[in-house]
Amino acid sequence: MPVLTRKDEGTNARGPGRPRACETASASLVTILNLVRTGQATTRQEIERTGEFGRAVVADRLALLTELGLVDESELGAATGGRAPRLVRFAADNGRVLVATMDQTALGVGIADLSGRLLMEHHEPADLTEPAAAILDRMTSLFDWILSRQSGPGTAPWAVSLSVPAPVAEVGRTFLFETPSILPGWEGALFVETLVRRYGVPVWMRSSVETMTMGELHAGAGIGCTAMLFVKVGKRIGAGLVCDGRLWRGALGAAGLIGQLPVQAGERTGTLDALAGSEMIARQGQVAAEMGRSTLLADLQRRHGSLTAVEVSHAAQMGDQVSIEILSQSGRLIGHVVATLANAFNPEIIVLSGSVAQSNDILLAAVREAVYGASHPLVTRDLRIVRSQMSSSAGLVGAAMVAVEGLFAPPMLKAWILQGHPTAHPAFAALRERLDGLPAAAAAQGAPRDGRV
Amino acid sequence: MHTLESDFARQQLQGLVETLGDCGAVVIEVVDCGFSPEAQIAALDRVLHEAPDAVISLPVANAAVAAAHARLSAAGTALVLLDNVPTGLLPGRDYVALVSADNSGLGRIAAELLGPHLPEGAEIGVLGYDADFFATDERELAFARWMGQNRPDITLRIARFGSIGVAGEAALSLSTAHPGLSGLFVVWDTPAREALSALARHGWTAPVATIDLGRDAAVSLASGGPIVAVAAQQPYEQGAVAAQTAVLSVLGQLTPDWIALPGLPVTLANVVESFQAVWRRPAPPEVLASLLQKPGVG
Repeated sequence: MPVLTRKDEGTNARGPGRPRACETASASLVTILNLVRTGQATTRQEIERTGEFGRAVVADRLALLTELGLVDESELGAATGGRAPRLVRFAADNGRVLVATMDQTALGVGIADLSGRLLMEHHEPADLTEPAAAILDRMTSLFDWILSRQSGPGTAPWAVSLSVPAPVAEVGRTFLFETPSILPGWEGALFVETLVRRYGVPVWMRSSVETMTMGELHAGAGIGCTAMLFVKVGKRIGAGLVCDGRLWRGALGAAGLIGQLPVQAGERTGTLDALAGSEMIARQGQVAAEMGRSTLLADLQRRHGSLTAVEVSHAAQMGDQVSIEILSQSGRLIGHVVATLANAFNPEIIVLSGSVAQSNDILLAAVREAVYGASHPLVTRDLRIVRSQMSSSAGLVGAAMVAVEGLFAPPMLKAWILQGHPTAHPAFAALRERLDGLPAAAAAQGAPRDGRV
Repeated sequence: MHTLESDFARQQLQGLVETLGDCGAVVIEVVDCGFSPEAQIAALDRVLHEAPDAVISLPVANAAVAAAHARLSAAGTALVLLDNVPTGLLPGRDYVALVSADNSGLGRIAAELLGPHLPEGAEIGVLGYDADFFATDERELAFARWMGQNRPDITLRIARFGSIGVAGEAALSLSTAHPGLSGLFVVWDTPAREALSALARHGWTAPVATIDLGRDAAVSLASGGPIVAVAAQQPYEQGAVAAQTAVLSVLGQLTPDWIALPGLPVTLANVVESFQAVWRRPAPPEVLASLLQKPGVG
């Protein structure tokens, strides 16, 4: 195969006649890189066997991938009789992904390598009722600080991935070209535009339920699962669906908004969010404390001035009967909705997450009871219903995986692999050119003042 | 443990062993890793074969010791970490809980206590640790954040040291590059001592805030400066809580995956009682003598 140079490969446009060598190469390069990256093949022999490629093609493509800094063949594997095979490793250390999670009360930031492994994380309180520009300013300050703490080759960002507390409508199958609508009050926010201009890399964005689902799938209870149902219980209740080992987003990224479903609790009818979410749990705890039905809750309220859902959860875990009943009621309502989904979807695992679900056993038990009671026996035969243990790291790990999957998805990868860097993607180059042509005021969002972190 | 040479580590260990003893749990081995990742990896791999119910470990490095800790957890041992989490380890999967000081809170306390000593529009130095270390990163971030939110008039000048031995040099370079510094924050007390020793030779008298109430920091506080503020960790409490967490985990009880103990704000006004609370022994005679010379204090 001829040596491929950057000059040869600047375009996707195909002329008449035979396809150019680089065009035929890119399909096999994409396949081989993804076989190596996902661990499906770790030696040349495995690549030949799994990818059904000839020896010469594998040797040629690996030479190019090594030259591009995307794979590394410097290590030897274990010998199985003859000479030890050379291991083919994905060069995950060749770049970084900046990640951030925004929820109602906290901002989390981190940095991961190209395998999605989190290398550094930081969480701090944040108020999302603040203007988007203030949140973005803090986020970019923290990103700058994290980048300043990285040293050595391969520490430049390749992507930014954000987790936001609302569904993200997405058009197209690659990175974002503009900031989608996120929260009321954040209209006109320039998250994507600012981050692209500041860091010069593509940006991905997903809802917090989706990133947590991705985190759980790749690093938590869902490792190796092909069908998983992830349920986050907070102020809003949402579900993440994993089908065939991949996050299912639906037509517009709105899959799993189960908090909107109508449910009935006694004589009351409302949405699942309103009747089983953390605001209801806190409110009912507050009422019980004020009416003197629970001395423990009354004591907690006296000490803290008010009650949160997590405090009611702790009280339940400590055996407070009123708190147990509040959480059981919430768990039963969630369980009935989850059972409907489980019957429709037949997951191998259901993971409950969110601070309320993760701080007591009562909610988990109530959900289990409802799901087992309302499901077809085949649905529950091997079903596991567990509590997430990943805490706030899930969103950051998941956000990193969203970007990694996005960067290396075949349609995306094919457009940049011959240049060895995602910023060479023609559509991204065009986006940067367009944004760089905008007035400087548009870039002012998120520019931290000197000497601040 | 990372070391058994320091007072801090000995206090942590005392809190651990006493609490485990109260719970009827047997401590089968205490390992001093001497800050060596190799020694820690060897110790963790050796302990793996003894299959203990729980291991409480203070990781001495980041990525280097991650796999050895993960192996222990994968073998079914409840792993409770002290102070920091090696890169890539995740709660639930790789460890039960992290028990540490609230490092963010420590940085915030230091800023809150130093703030009143700083004139309007001051330029101050921040001496951070140039290593991938979660605790000191969090302190530095929280200090800078508090200043940005509450004293936007103040400009921070940041320098970092790679080891305690060069902290004095780093402080001098910072002071030379910015001669108008009217305050300093150092991310813990031992490098603060080195920094002050170097700066004192050049006539430094400006107020300093740091983390941890070591003996020298207590003496400086009691004598009126230059250290005017300390955010102190509570090593005994950290050890005791880590032991309780390990026991609860072995019993199958839920534990939080991150337990952060609040720091103590320490100034001239409460240095003696804080020293006693942190170190569980009387304050050094120099501290008491300094305070007795100050009318209205102590």
